[in-house]
Amino acid sequence: MRVWEVFVNDLSELREDEELDLSIRTLEPGIYKYTYKRVRARVSSSPDTYPDRLHVRFGRGQPCDQTFSIQIVEELNVIPAKYL
Amino acid sequence: MKGHRDNREYVADLERHGDAVRITQEVDWDLEAGAIVRRVCELKAPAPFMERIKDYPGFRYLGAPLATYRRLAISLGMDPRSSVPDIAEEYLKRTTSEPIAPVVVDRREAPCKQNILLGDEVDLCKLPAPLVHDGDGGRYIGTWHAVITEGAEGDVNWGMYRLMLYDSRLMVGAVFPFSDLGKAFHQRYEPRGEPMPFAAVIGPPPLAAVAACAPSPIPEPELTGMLMGAPIELVKCETNDLLVPAHSEVVIEGVILPNVRVEEGPFGEYTGYRTSPRDKRLTFLVKAITFRDDAIVTISNMGVPTDEGQLLRSFSLGLELDKLLRSQGIPITGVYMPPESTHHMMIVGVKPIYSNIATQIANLAFGSKLGPWFHMVVVVDDTIDIYNWDEVFHALCTRCHPVRDIRVYEHAVGTALYPFLSAHERKYAKGAQVLFDCTWPLDWDPLNEVPRLVAFRSVYPKEIQEKVLANWEAYGFPTE
Ligand SMILES: Cc1cc2nc3c(=O)[nH]c(=O)nc-3n(C[C@H](O)[C@H](O)[C@H](O)COP(=O)(O)O)c2cc1C
Repeated sequence: MRVWEVFVNDLSELREDEELDLSIRTLEPGIYKYTYKRVRARVSSSPDTYPDRLHVRFGRGQPCDQTFSIQIVEELNVIPAKYL
Repeated sequence: MKGHRDNREYVADLERHGDAVRITQEVDWDLEAGAIVRRVCELKAPAPFMERIKDYPGFRYLGAPLATYRRLAISLGMDPRSSVPDIAEEYLKRTTSEPIAPVVVDRREAPCKQNILLGDEVDLCKLPAPLVHDGDGGRYIGTWHAVITEGAEGDVNWGMYRLMLYDSRLMVGAVFPFSDLGKAFHQRYEPRGEPMPFAAVIGPPPLAAVAACAPSPIPEPELTGMLMGAPIELVKCETNDLLVPAHSEVVIEGVILPNVRVEEGPFGEYTGYRTSPRDKRLTFLVKAITFRDDAIVTISNMGVPTDEGQLLRSFSLGLELDKLLRSQGIPITGVYMPPESTHHMMIVGVKPIYSNIATQIANLAFGSKLGPWFHMVVVVDDTIDIYNWDEVFHALCTRCHPVRDIRVYEHAVGTALYPFLSAHERKYAKGAQVLFDCTWPLDWDPLNEVPRLVAFRSVYPKEIQEKVLANWEAYGFPTE
């Protein structure tokens, strides 16, 4: 089980069980902690529905008490291939 | 006087004056370092020099490098006890002297080339980017640094624009569209769909950082030389033709991508809040990283006063506005921005030789390129010491007529960082500004209408003042 975090302005942005495009950051300890991935994923407000945990913060950094779960369907490229 | 070539010379000088604390125990990059720097800012304590960073052997941190006027004086080679007006006078003298051109040195003489990461070795997570505040959108490698690019006029620009790590190859930065980098990118590179080369210098020589965040029209390499009293040594980048200070600690090279944005923020800001919304901002793709052995990563921790964002920006904004007003022949005694106002308040002293001179001052200041950075202008007459807040506050509360002397400027250019703006106003950078005219109206009869200031300095004959001062200790008062 991996642990991720997402920033939202409102919990309604996390529409449950739909495929969403999200920027999530890893909370795994070590030098990559807090780095982001852009993913297509499904989320649930129940912490056990999907394999990974998802913590949520609001727009000014305030943590949300509720822990979600997330399943990454696909990693998306942030940088267009022509620049790589 | 020759400014410090690098942060090593600067730290040694700070230690000599008791203005740095060497921390030898291990410090965590994940919040602990940020918390130390924050507390240092709030206590105006010595700069923390952290020698061991968790997960990052071979790197060190210098926090709050220029968060006090004492440290500003030391960086300028002045007595640390120098008064603010004395530091201001010296800064004005140096920045109105002859420009001092930089010199380009061979890469073998450039310590910033001691370690070079190219191609697959490039990984931003090899650098100890701190998580500065809990709840920040990410780790910020650029908080006290210089982003070097082509300038608004096709010249060179060094600016300080915060930089967050997105992933191992990508940084994302907050660049205002009215800044020199913003103009060059939005007006030239992005319309052509062209990536814009950049170099982000972390731990630049102290006065190069001061130049990077100063709103001066003088090109920053020359400005640095003028502040240092000697040419700054520059060296060419590995992957582009930009020139960077050779004695920098870390240099990150790459390109700003056109039409690519990723989320940045939120971040603790100079106003003392996290205000600006998390948003999609400019992306900096990294192509090379070079760094010195035992590199010193500099950290500014913005929050409530006093940090570099407030102290230096207040200082250099105020002095650039001073130059602007004098260039227009306004008989000012000076301009001061108190850092505690988070550079939102510009205090101007003036000889009120004609009516509504305060309005002319506010129009010039708000209408200048610097206008979006502050929203309050307080104009006092030449009898008030602009550096003495007690005097300014007293004048503001006693001389400013709530109807006649407060002028509101609607529809001003703002920024997303103003805490008092609504979410809509922040999004579209719509500001508002205000003038507090604390001069007496010139059409008042000086004898019968202008009140008489009741102060030791104004209502006693000179002989009595001198007698009282001479006898002060004899009366039994402690010496100051
Ligand atoms: C610590 C610090 C952080 C700053 N961060 C930003 C920033 O993220 N974005 C920005 O546009 N300006 C920022 N500034 C202000 C710019 O550095 C400043 O406006 C600089 O002069 C660049 O402006 P110019 O390019 O218009 O000359 C910061 C200043 C300081 C001292």
